[in-house]
Amino acid sequence: MVAMEVDPSTLQRKQSLYQSQDERFEIKMEKYTGQQYSQIYFARLHKMRAILYSLVEKWKPQLPVCTVLDLELGKECIIVGTLYKHMKLKPCILDEYSKERSVVPVVKPHNFMHSDDQLVLEDESGRVKLGGTFLAPSKYVTGVVVALHGKETTSGEFSVIDILDRGLPPQIELPLDSGEDKFVVLVSGLSIGNEKSNPLNVQLLVDHITGHLGDAKVQNMSSQIVRVVIAGNSIELPLGLVKGQTLAAKDHSKLTEPIKELDILLTQLAAAVPLDIMPGPGDPANFSLPQQPLHRCLFRGASTYNTFISCTNPHWFDLDNIRFLGTSGQNIDDLEKYSEAKDKLDFMERTLRWRHLAPTAPNTLGCYPFTDRDPFLIENCPHVYFVGNQSKYDTQLLKGSEGQSVRLICIPKFCETGIAVVLNLKNLESHTLSLSTDLDL
Amino acid sequence: MNNNKRRGDPPPSSAQAKRFQQQKPPQSTVDEYEEMDEDVEETLLLREEEEALIRKDEEERGQVIAARLSKWKRPNLSPAYISQSKNIIFQQLEIDYVIGERHKELLSTSSGGASAAILRIFGVTREGHSVCCHVHGFEPYFYINCPPGMTPDVISRFRQALEARMRETNNKNNNVSKLVLRMEIVQKRSIMYYQQVQSHPFLKIVLALPTMVAGCRSILEKGIHIDGLGSKNFITYESNVLFALRFMIDCNIVGGNWIELPAGKYKKTIRTISSCQLEIDCLYSDLISHPPEGEFSKMAPFRILSFDIECAGRKGHFPEAIHDPVIQVANLVTLQGEDQPFVRNIMALKSCSPIVGVDVMSFETEREVLLAWRDFIRDVDPDIIIGYNICKFDLPYLIERAAALKITEFPILGRIRNSRTRVKDATFSSRQYGIRESKEVTIEGRVQFDLFQVMQRDYKLSSYSLNSVSAHFLGEQKEDVHHSIISDLQNGNSETRRRLAVYCLKDAYLPQRLLDKLMLIYNYVEMGRVTGVPISFLLSRGQSIKVLSQLLRKSREKDLVLPNVRKQGSGEGTFEGATVLEARTGFYEKPIATLDFASLYPSIMMAYNLCYCTLVTPEDVRNLNLPPECVNKTPSGETFVKSNLQKGILPEILEELLAARKRAKADLKEAKDPLEKAVLDGRQLALKISANSVYGFTGATVGQLPCLEISSSVTSYGRQMIEHTKKRVEDRFTTLNGYEHNAEVIYGDTDSVMVQFGVSTVEAAMNLGREAAGLISDTFTKPIKLEFEKVYYPYLLINKKRYAGLYWTNPDKFDKMDTKGIETVRRDNCLLVKNLITECLHKILIDRDIPAAVQYVKNTISDLLMNRMDLSLLVITKGLTKTGDDYTVKTAHVELADRMRKRDAATAPNVGDRVPYVIIKAAKGAKAYERSEDPIYVLENNIPIDSQYYLENQISKPLLRIFEPILKNASKELLQGSHTRAVSISTPSNSGIMRFAKKQLSCLGCKALISNTEQTLCSHCKGREAELYCKTIANVAELEILFGKLWTQCQECQGSLHQDVLCTSRDCPIFYRRKKAQKDMAEAKVQLDRWQY
Repeated sequence: MVAMEVDPSTLQRKQSLYQSQDERFEIKMEKYTGQQYSQIYFARLHKMRAILYSLVEKWKPQLPVCTVLDLELGKECIIVGTLYKHMKLKPCILDEYSKERSVVPVVKPHNFMHSDDQLVLEDESGRVKLGGTFLAPSKYVTGVVVALHGKETTSGEFSVIDILDRGLPPQIELPLDSGEDKFVVLVSGLSIGNEKSNPLNVQLLVDHITGHLGDAKVQNMSSQIVRVVIAGNSIELPLGLVKGQTLAAKDHSKLTEPIKELDILLTQLAAAVPLDIMPGPGDPANFSLPQQPLHRCLFRGASTYNTFISCTNPHWFDLDNIRFLGTSGQNIDDLEKYSEAKDKLDFMERTLRWRHLAPTAPNTLGCYPFTDRDPFLIENCPHVYFVGNQSKYDTQLLKGSEGQSVRLICIPKFCETGIAVVLNLKNLESHTLSLSTDLDL
Repeated sequence: MNNNKRRGDPPPSSAQAKRFQQQKPPQSTVDEYEEMDEDVEETLLLREEEEALIRKDEEERGQVIAARLSKWKRPNLSPAYISQSKNIIFQQLEIDYVIGERHKELLSTSSGGASAAILRIFGVTREGHSVCCHVHGFEPYFYINCPPGMTPDVISRFRQALEARMRETNNKNNNVSKLVLRMEIVQKRSIMYYQQVQSHPFLKIVLALPTMVAGCRSILEKGIHIDGLGSKNFITYESNVLFALRFMIDCNIVGGNWIELPAGKYKKTIRTISSCQLEIDCLYSDLISHPPEGEFSKMAPFRILSFDIECAGRKGHFPEAIHDPVIQVANLVTLQGEDQPFVRNIMALKSCSPIVGVDVMSFETEREVLLAWRDFIRDVDPDIIIGYNICKFDLPYLIERAAALKITEFPILGRIRNSRTRVKDATFSSRQYGIRESKEVTIEGRVQFDLFQVMQRDYKLSSYSLNSVSAHFLGEQKEDVHHSIISDLQNGNSETRRRLAVYCLKDAYLPQRLLDKLMLIYNYVEMGRVTGVPISFLLSRGQSIKVLSQLLRKSREKDLVLPNVRKQGSGEGTFEGATVLEARTGFYEKPIATLDFASLYPSIMMAYNLCYCTLVTPEDVRNLNLPPECVNKTPSGETFVKSNLQKGILPEILEELLAARKRAKADLKEAKDPLEKAVLDGRQLALKISANSVYGFTGATVGQLPCLEISSSVTSYGRQMIEHTKKRVEDRFTTLNGYEHNAEVIYGDTDSVMVQFGVSTVEAAMNLGREAAGLISDTFTKPIKLEFEKVYYPYLLINKKRYAGLYWTNPDKFDKMDTKGIETVRRDNCLLVKNLITECLHKILIDRDIPAAVQYVKNTISDLLMNRMDLSLLVITKGLTKTGDDYTVKTAHVELADRMRKRDAATAPNVGDRVPYVIIKAAKGAKAYERSEDPIYVLENNIPIDSQYYLENQISKPLLRIFEPILKNASKELLQGSHTRAVSISTPSNSGIMRFAKKQLSCLGCKALISNTEQTLCSHCKGREAELYCKTIANVAELEILFGKLWTQCQECQGSLHQDVLCTSRDCPIFYRRKKAQKDMAEAKVQLDRWQY
């Protein structure tokens, strides 16, 4: 491939102001002293309750606010607490020990819902079963903090009449439209090392971004790309090899080959454009959220550039004062296993309204046992909210009641679709960049 | 039946009452062969001043309780009851007796003195009223054989001589005017041996009080001088029957049946002594006892109290009543037949935050807690008290604690208002259940039903902790708070105490749920009804009392009497047991049909009329000249007459039991109502167990009436049947007779024969099996019957008593995998063995994939040797029954318990606990018992596991057993080879020599030592950085996954997200893993930190 000659004076890559907000997701300073998960729930409820209480005053000021314990039979009130969903089909580690092993697995692995699922509300004082038909258990998951209006019935349940819709979190004002196009490329699921991954597609993507492809118009557009964000699952390593005790020489290369390949691509990218790489569920990173940055030693070449930033998942950053929030997809995928919505965007919207990025952590989604805080709370509404490793591209501009507006983006898996997403900072419009060569080949 | 009290006695001085508290509780032995009515104990009635004090105290605290009374009290009596114009019909649950004043009105004409035994029947009417019925006029008696020449005159002298001797030997009875009330001649016959004479004269000796029976009996057995007859000793008959049981037998009362007292035949008790709503006096002859049929098979609405207490132990000690306070008592009261408790409350020391749906009562002092509980018991008036280990722990603890606090008015928990509840140490010994120490708490009128005892009796489980029992039957793990944490929770605030209360409530609720789920009330009441013993006997006594009760009842109908035989030495008289046909071991891939004898032993006894009264003594065989067609000579050489000469009692009992079972099973099929089904199913099960225990009764050498001639005859017939069946099958099903293949009997056990007919489909095997069963049954004496039930296909026969196979009862689909004698069920093995064997059998039998099974074994062995095994799979558990000093041989678990006690007495296992341990690597030559270690300690200190021990002593034998019939060189194939070569041993981090070692960082790649500045890798490994990092991080990721799964599961179990998990249940399968995950998490963090970003 021969790069076209371009006059450097006419095409200068645009710049943008970048500021990482990932500090909250770092666990370097945390010390593990045997703590359990109760503290993160406690921190979540504590913080969320303050927000909910302030909203309740506007919502239904005439009603008293109670704890679960203070409930009185038949008296209408508002309670605030963490939801817990009893799920019959939820897989459970104790099943490994069950006496009767069934010959056929009963549960389908992608969704564990059942019509008997039951919601329970819990605060520090106790638990109460939620009754009535107002709340559909299928919509909610364990870990969401809610304010409910209702009353205790004779059967000891709390019959729910209404739930506080807290809207989107407050948002800092969107910076004034600068008038110039600046693009951010969002991509995920490169899956280098996966048999399905087409090396040509990836190379095309890199070449496109670095301006080595297309005519002047295309190159002009490329020069307006101010940042690339890779949202997880960049490498796929053969699992058996990683876990094996000793490695034969030939396996050694099998393991390091994809890493080297990725490093070469990233080096090319980093030489041209600032780059954020987030770890994903398949990457050589820790499992629990927040996933810590991929280690430098994996990227001997790319890491020498200061444009190369290995960041956490979730990832929170400002670009020209536009606030981005994104994950590599685990939070939304987990919601899909334990609840139901019309599409992935719907799930994303819910997490914003719940003001919590990953309510199912730690219950079904691995998570570090934080002691004094819950880093997944969404106190400020981002302007752009993306999730990686989805099956298809989807987007929507979500408007809040107080003028908030959020661009929601599902980034498809690149290795399966050959699609990257391009977002214009000017107007938060997004479109796809299809580099699939499958049709041509 | 030790509730003897003297009602008429003057109140004892307070000094006496005090002395009771100080003295050591008397030891009583309730065992199988020696049952007696005990001597009257010190009376424990209250003084009037004391009573007044209590009443005043109650008034003061009445307000706390008053609001709750409406919910607690029983329904009010209707006017018909108050005016005594209504028949009183009630279901009795408990019968005991006291010695008290004779009822002068009811017993106007009689010879007795001032004192007499009064039976008390406690029960509940259909409306839920509690009843206490004093029954008068029933007198203790027994028989002796009557020597010739007994004129009325001689009898009178005999009576006087006996009276005199009794006064001599025991001066306690001085205040009784007449000890031997009557002696009369009756016509009876001994049950022992076939006799041609229908009856002989016997002397019936009627005594004044039941407690005199034992003394009188021993005088007669040892010999007594009677003027005119000289010195004589006697065989006594039925002199060993408990008084209450005697009464029940004579009045046809069976355990838990309904009793009716017609209006006018009973009198309201004038000076009531019980807290029952209906307290009445009557004559024993006026009682109407209803057989448990139709309307009278139902259950009254009993009140069942399920409770649990928590005590705040001191650090390092198991709670002791002398020192440690009772801090919470949780109570649930349920009406029999309802599925929700109507009272749920908790009595807590110090403030406790409210709990939804539970009445939380807080008290400032322990005294108030205890007294509130006493009042609660009195007001709610439970008929049955249940709980987990209440008999050994909760109840004695409450009483001893009250004694320690000098709350003398506390232990009034029974239905007799002014009698104290006492604790006695008791030993229960039975051939079937072994020796068990327990405490006996007498609570008059209330049945104690300890689920712990039930579990130990009725189920074989690997652990009997409430946790594992509820995991087993209810399918849920229970959180377990170690007693060392309980004090911390109590000393916290009202929130932490609430936490404890929730836990305590759950412990009180689980026994109730177990009771419901296992339908124990139905099963036990039915068992009581079938065998005729009170419900309380069923838990506190062994099997033989049940057979004895039936035998006595039946004998009474036929005027037979049972001799009181001296017990025989236990070593003597063993006899050949059941036969087992030689097992042709192997892996059978053709269907194996199983022919079973239905109730073999009972059938044999019926078919050959085997009984005490049909047995002909060797002399009589010679002397009587019985025609050969009238006798059966058993294969063991005994002679029994056939039923045309004398019908046996045992066969008759068995016939009735089996006929009743048949009826119950037929009714069960018809029944629609689930409650009715429960009763019927309980009944048919009780009947089956009872039928099977008759044989055991005759063979129990230290039993009530052993007769080895019967039991050895039964087994000899059994052997003959099996042999006969084998022969018939192999003679008949041959190619010569037109069958496809020659049938082959591959194995036979006590009551079943396994046949390979050679056909290849299950259906064909079933048809042949049915044909064979029918053919061969016809050759047996009725009711012996061979049944065809199931086919095994494939079938792995390992050796005698050990096999595994898929079990088919219909040709389309197998029912289950059935194993016998294989390590899938043994309790002493570690989980690894069980999992490994189960998985292998699954692969062999269900997947039919032997190579996969072999591969699985290899992988597992490799994991074990490479130290990749989950520790919880290696934990071995053994029960600690005595302390170390009492064991003569040193054993691993006992030694460990001693070592742990030295480390920290608080968490060390106590007698009665099960001790979990693993085997660790230790110095060469260390004994196995020295290598046991607490799994937690192993986790915390990185102690290496002795994987060779597990390979050699735990898994190899069971593995070889199942693989030997399948593989040629099983041992070589499985236990040797490349998979056994790689071995890795983790080094201990803080023991032995390592304490002197200097810690230095080593390269994560090659373990070479590195200077601290380099942090992660040595210069050689630097090039492999990415690879090594990937491995480290993959390891971390895996640990994180586990951490998340394990700890969220525990949150789920404890039912709270916002509170820390406290559970320390070592029975939980994930307990050790969870602990390990915590440690791994910390380690993973350190490892990650070493790779500085």
